[in-house]
Amino acid sequence: MGNRARLFGLVAGLTLLAMGCQQAQPRPQAGSGGAPAGNAAASGAAPGGQAASSSSGPTRVTIGVTETIESQNPYADSISLGYGVWCEVLGCLMTFDPQTRAYKPELAEKWEVQEPNTWTFHLRHDVQWHDGSPFTAADVVHSFNRVKNDPTSKQKHNLANVASIEQLDDYTVRMTTKEPTASLLSYLADLFIITSKAQYDKFGPDQIDRQPPLGTGPYMFKELVPNQRLVITKNPNFYGGKVEGPDEVVYRIMRETEVRVTALLNGEIQIAQFLPPHLMDRVNSAPNTKVVSTDSQEIMFLAMMPKTKPFDNKLVRQAVCYSLDRDSIIQGVLMGQGKRLDGPIGPASYAYNPDFQPRYTYDPAKAKALLAQAGYPNGVDVEFYTPVGRYVQDKQAAEAMTAQMNAVGIRAKLVTPEWPTLWADVQAGRTPFYYMGRGSVNDPGPAMSQYFETGVSPRIGYSNPQLDAMFEKERASFDENARKKALNDEMSLITEEAPACFLWTINMLWGMAKNIDYTPRPDLRIFASDIRVR
Amino acid sequence: MTRYLVRRLVGTIPVLLLVTLLVYGLLHLAPGDPASLLLPEDATDADVAEARARWGLDKPFYVQYVYFVGNALQGNLGRSFRFAQPVTELIGSRLPATVELAFFAVLIATLIAIPLGVFAGARPDSATDNVGTVFGLFGISMPNFWFGIMLILLFAGVLHWFPSAGRSEYGVAGQTITGFYFVDSIITGNWAGVADAFRHVVLPALTLGCALAGILMRITRSAVLEITREDYVLVARAKGLMNRVVLWRHVLRNALIPIVTVVGLELGTLLSGSIIVETVFAWPGVGNLLITGVTSRDYPLVTGIVLMYTVAFVTINLAIDAIYAVVDPRIRFQ
Repeated sequence: MGNRARLFGLVAGLTLLAMGCQQAQPRPQAGSGGAPAGNAAASGAAPGGQAASSSSGPTRVTIGVTETIESQNPYADSISLGYGVWCEVLGCLMTFDPQTRAYKPELAEKWEVQEPNTWTFHLRHDVQWHDGSPFTAADVVHSFNRVKNDPTSKQKHNLANVASIEQLDDYTVRMTTKEPTASLLSYLADLFIITSKAQYDKFGPDQIDRQPPLGTGPYMFKELVPNQRLVITKNPNFYGGKVEGPDEVVYRIMRETEVRVTALLNGEIQIAQFLPPHLMDRVNSAPNTKVVSTDSQEIMFLAMMPKTKPFDNKLVRQAVCYSLDRDSIIQGVLMGQGKRLDGPIGPASYAYNPDFQPRYTYDPAKAKALLAQAGYPNGVDVEFYTPVGRYVQDKQAAEAMTAQMNAVGIRAKLVTPEWPTLWADVQAGRTPFYYMGRGSVNDPGPAMSQYFETGVSPRIGYSNPQLDAMFEKERASFDENARKKALNDEMSLITEEAPACFLWTINMLWGMAKNIDYTPRPDLRIFASDIRVR
Repeated sequence: MTRYLVRRLVGTIPVLLLVTLLVYGLLHLAPGDPASLLLPEDATDADVAEARARWGLDKPFYVQYVYFVGNALQGNLGRSFRFAQPVTELIGSRLPATVELAFFAVLIATLIAIPLGVFAGARPDSATDNVGTVFGLFGISMPNFWFGIMLILLFAGVLHWFPSAGRSEYGVAGQTITGFYFVDSIITGNWAGVADAFRHVVLPALTLGCALAGILMRITRSAVLEITREDYVLVARAKGLMNRVVLWRHVLRNALIPIVTVVGLELGTLLSGSIIVETVFAWPGVGNLLITGVTSRDYPLVTGIVLMYTVAFVTINLAIDAIYAVVDPRIRFQ
């Protein structure tokens, strides 16, 4: 190697090192704001790129998320992140307000049910697409048809109960359901995404999803880099007035928990979704970050299939429920980050009744007695299935439950198949006894029906004509109070009959920079307009 | 040489067919149904059945396979269930990230391993040799996912030198032309983009590169050790050539054959071995895509990616064979 080559190598090496380490200093404050898009580097972005804080410049918040939006087609996937983002960027008829547990008008300003199967939605007159063209009922009908007929749609189930839609005038649409569906709004709110008919007609089915999608919401689409990030930016002409959230929000895909936490502490992101309880202290003890805990709408339960022995006997099912010390598992395994369920649902769901009396308190003696009464005085052997890594501390919680059941004579053998196998078996009704969660229980009607109504799903295979009649009555109860009562009657009977033991909801933990004010929603949607930067 | 290469290429056709059959068959044998995995938990059984029919999953296995092969022969690997996009487009959009990472991993590995291996081999049982051997063992035995997370904790979490994950930074990355972030940034004169690309690639490339460097260092060391005992090395020394010249000009050149072989094989492995590293570092490459495909039982996507890996492996090995002739003029292909 000649001297010149050596010198060149040295210079090249030093240049690369300098490039790698430039601006490489720890940031004292994990904040947001700074340079607008495209100027972050020039304005002195730190590695990992959060723009430097600025009191006067535009604000940008980066959120480390676990799900990924891969396509500009809002109907091609069915994930919580996507529903929230597309609802806020493109538009949706209404949203669910977790504080009031009521539906909040968005593109539809009001709605009414004329007959049990007919719903009329009155749309706002003052809404424009981001290109200035008017939003009308034709867009709603077009969106309905895309959900139903787009070959890539994964959202058909949301509109499965709706038989047809018709445009009554420019600002009124009518939906006809297949049967009375009092919970219809729970299938539409945040879930039925409205897209522009004119844009679709202009580009056609092959090209439409390669275009930046046009919306009506408080934020506008800016950039999608598949499997890396999605960027949205504030809509200055939003029909709802001034948008209070940050100027730009970047959703960065980071599936690894450790990476999200490091990025948060490093100031690369300002909000980190889903932290496990064991990392709480690390985030809380850092000077500029905090953990925010929120209720979940995901109910965790033990399912017992009544068509299989020994769960064909109600007393055995109840014995299982009495054998579990749920409070100790919440404290010990979930590190206090959970709420005990006394009935099927928790406080984050519609129709939650705080006066619901705890039915199954921890009572091993009663569990043993029930087991003996059921004809198993010497105990019984069962196989108990649990997912691993699907839910927070799932295997550990299942191990704790196994020990508690064994103590009363329910000799459970823990089986831990990988998720696709377990889920396929559960869906096909091949798993008699399993630990599972059911998410998105915003309105409990559909979830209860799915698991406990005769013939709806083989997941538990429970059948009870009395309960079926109650479901039918509840679906036709359009008066809010009557429906809430009907739902609570259903849930009382389910709890008593115990085809499942309802265990807990697991609090969702979010890491945040201290200068961010944001209350995460129990339904996992992230609405940028809810975020405030101090 | 040309005839040899053509013969080798023709020989790969049955390999590709066998690979697709195996992958397709194994995926179908594996428990788990793509429709129920990809639709949300509130989807009804009717929704799942409709999705199965739409994706052709209600047809017998052989029909699905023949259909796949027929389309693949026309360059169409089907449409991903999960992403609802053509598989070829998906792979094409992710491949540059994986190739970029593999390139830097090999670069780092070569820069570390070859000098270390040569010095260790030239002075067996010396301090250099012992340090090199320990490094080699460390590189070979350390799991990628653990080393990656340690690097993130140290260089991103403590020292704040590099970003913790991702491939580029929003606002810095410019226009996509080739998909190779470095190349695109250089073409457009976006020097901040070059620096950004470098900062992002260092940690994942180091994670992959160290594992490869361990193997490469051991191979180089043993090859050098063997060749230094050859008569012509003795002759070179007897001529009075400087030790440095003997080592780098005479010994290393002849030790290159096994080194090139290992680099080639490892480059192929890197494309699949980077699956874990891509996941840890949220690197948007093909490995990351494969993980998503496997967990959602996305048959066309997984088969398409494995097919791509096979083609890459075969091509790299062919290229390595061609390089032998350059490295060692005594080698002739018949």
